[in-house]
Amino acid sequence: MKILVINCGSSSLKYKLFDMDKDSVIAEGRVERIGENDGIITHQAVDREKVNKTKPIPEHSVAISECLSLLTDPEVGAIESLNDIKGIGHRVLHGGEYFKQSTLVDDTALDQMEELRDLGPLHMPANILGIRSCMKLMPNTPQVAVFDTAFHSTMPKHAYLYAVPYELYQRYRIRRYGFHGTSHNYIALRVAQLMNRDVKELKIISCHLGNGASLAAIDGGRSVDTSMGFTPLEGLMMGTRSGDIDPSALEYVMDKEDVPMANIINMLNKHSGLYGIAGAGDMRDIVQGVEDQKPMHMLAFDMYEYRIRKYIGAYIAAMNGVDAIAFTAGIGENTPSLRAKICDNLSYFGIAIDHQVNQQRGEFELSTPESKVKVYVIPTDEEIMIAKDTLKLITENNNKSKQ
Amino acid sequence: MEIKKVAILGSGRLGRGIAENAATKGYEVTLFTQGAGSQNAPHRIEQSLNRKVAKWALTETQKRVILNRISYTADLKELANADLVIEATVDHLYTKQELLRTADRLCKPNVIFILTSAMLPVYEIARSLSRSQLLVGARFIPPVVDVDVVEFSYSQDTDPEAVETVKKFIASLGKTAVHVHESPGLVNPRALVTLINEAAYLLDEGVASADAVEAIIKHSWGMSQGPFEMADRMGIDIILDWMEQLQERYGDHYKPAPVIRRLVRQGKLGVKTQQGFFHYNEAGQRIDISGLGQEEK
Repeated sequence: MKILVINCGSSSLKYKLFDMDKDSVIAEGRVERIGENDGIITHQAVDREKVNKTKPIPEHSVAISECLSLLTDPEVGAIESLNDIKGIGHRVLHGGEYFKQSTLVDDTALDQMEELRDLGPLHMPANILGIRSCMKLMPNTPQVAVFDTAFHSTMPKHAYLYAVPYELYQRYRIRRYGFHGTSHNYIALRVAQLMNRDVKELKIISCHLGNGASLAAIDGGRSVDTSMGFTPLEGLMMGTRSGDIDPSALEYVMDKEDVPMANIINMLNKHSGLYGIAGAGDMRDIVQGVEDQKPMHMLAFDMYEYRIRKYIGAYIAAMNGVDAIAFTAGIGENTPSLRAKICDNLSYFGIAIDHQVNQQRGEFELSTPESKVKVYVIPTDEEIMIAKDTLKLITENNNKSKQ
Repeated sequence: MEIKKVAILGSGRLGRGIAENAATKGYEVTLFTQGAGSQNAPHRIEQSLNRKVAKWALTETQKRVILNRISYTADLKELANADLVIEATVDHLYTKQELLRTADRLCKPNVIFILTSAMLPVYEIARSLSRSQLLVGARFIPPVVDVDVVEFSYSQDTDPEAVETVKKFIASLGKTAVHVHESPGLVNPRALVTLINEAAYLLDEGVASADAVEAIIKHSWGMSQGPFEMADRMGIDIILDWMEQLQERYGDHYKPAPVIRRLVRQGKLGVKTQQGFFHYNEAGQRIDISGLGQEEK
């Protein structure tokens, strides 16, 4: 059975077509610069020629029809007809309190997603547009929404509430939601597989360190805490995001610099983090700077590492223990020096890694046999999780309608 | 018709502000630079964006993308490419009529014209155009990028579809279009000159110094600028010009306070001459020399 996974951003769209019988990707591609006259399309189906082309992509629905026609193209496509696609899974940023798990999209679900627009003003409109365009183009194919927040819906109330007047939660659902849920979920399941244990009996800390970065404490396969909050701004230091900061400092800056709150939030999202300290938001540049002994690059690296380690310590306390720590996403997978510094400074917990092995690429275990805690690098795969959820929901739905 | 390319006639404070705003929101902007001081427009827009980067409203990359969306020309023939024309020149009937008649000839037939005039009603300008039903009034209020409301008016002959298109365009700039019936001075300009004029009378009568009047009005209504700084930024000559036009239309209710005339006579026109009610440096920031009223005593 073929499942299409779509990740629709504000000006780009990524897609992967899965053959679920073989658990494999049979075609993938992306459309960039949506809304411009020089949109860029790249597409590659297994054993077929790669496609690169430029053409105007005025809106998301055009991007999706491009993707669908490439998938069914006799020369470069992967399927004969769109009827071969049995379901479409969409990545959606925010599920709020409505969506605690993935859902089949119907009018009610769409209305609820519309209500959540303001919680993710950059991503939600594009996510919703992607779903609506697919529904128009393939009205008889079931659409499934998979939410970045859903995996964290198992957090206990004492972990997700902020200590502010409770009315704010009652009136506006102000609380920690957490993000990267699909990735954290994949990591937890993969760790259990690699350890050959049931995820239900494991305490895992998943470190998703990409351009955005978050940690999750996963106890028995359920997220019990995560570092991102109401928005992706909270928690770790990131490429250009500040992570945690005392809000009183912001009022002070607003007053001194005579700027409105919108500028401050923009400063925290786009002018801070590694970029704010070292003037470079990309970890590869920071690592190079550390090698070249540049003081601000070294400082940024130390701050970045320290914040992660502090959160790991907090999550060990939150779960009263840890069996495995896993690193994933761009920075987590490709920065051995960061992993080394974090792990070397956690020896109190009996964590020990093999520095030779730590230099590897791909999926591997870096902890030594003596280490009390397993440490892994696991390339994340959000798309396969979305495809699996989509398959599960449409199968359940088909069974229901048969009964 | 989908609007992608916006032509702006006039590169003064209003035109530049609309250009910056539209480019920030993704439109391709052509700013038509004619007349004195217009060569400065690219520099002024870049300066304005630099301030936003320095205050974290934009990143360097975003700034470069925005600047790339704005082109400058003095050649009106380039109007032929525009999907929308915004007129932002001085508030003189004949200048505007003349310019818009030329634009009328050069533009594609279904292109809508926006009139930003504070003083001239749509019907007065529309009369001289072949596309009279495609002229819509939209008074952007400076500083355009920061003010999120636009006074929006049209005549009874205006095409309802053009009205809707302009409304959507204004919304796409992140602003709310509030409808007002067309009348000289609309709402904001009339209320503004009245406030400035009353503040000027207070100064003339020696009730308080400029600093004191400014502080009381600014802080009691939570404004970011008081009436004198607003006048200095608008240009005191423009304020006087508006007042004279309003006085002619509505009577002595709008009679300019003597200090306004005096400042214009002395060439102290506000930020652009670095002196008006207050003093300013070259970058347009207020410098701390006591304002009028105090030095005179």
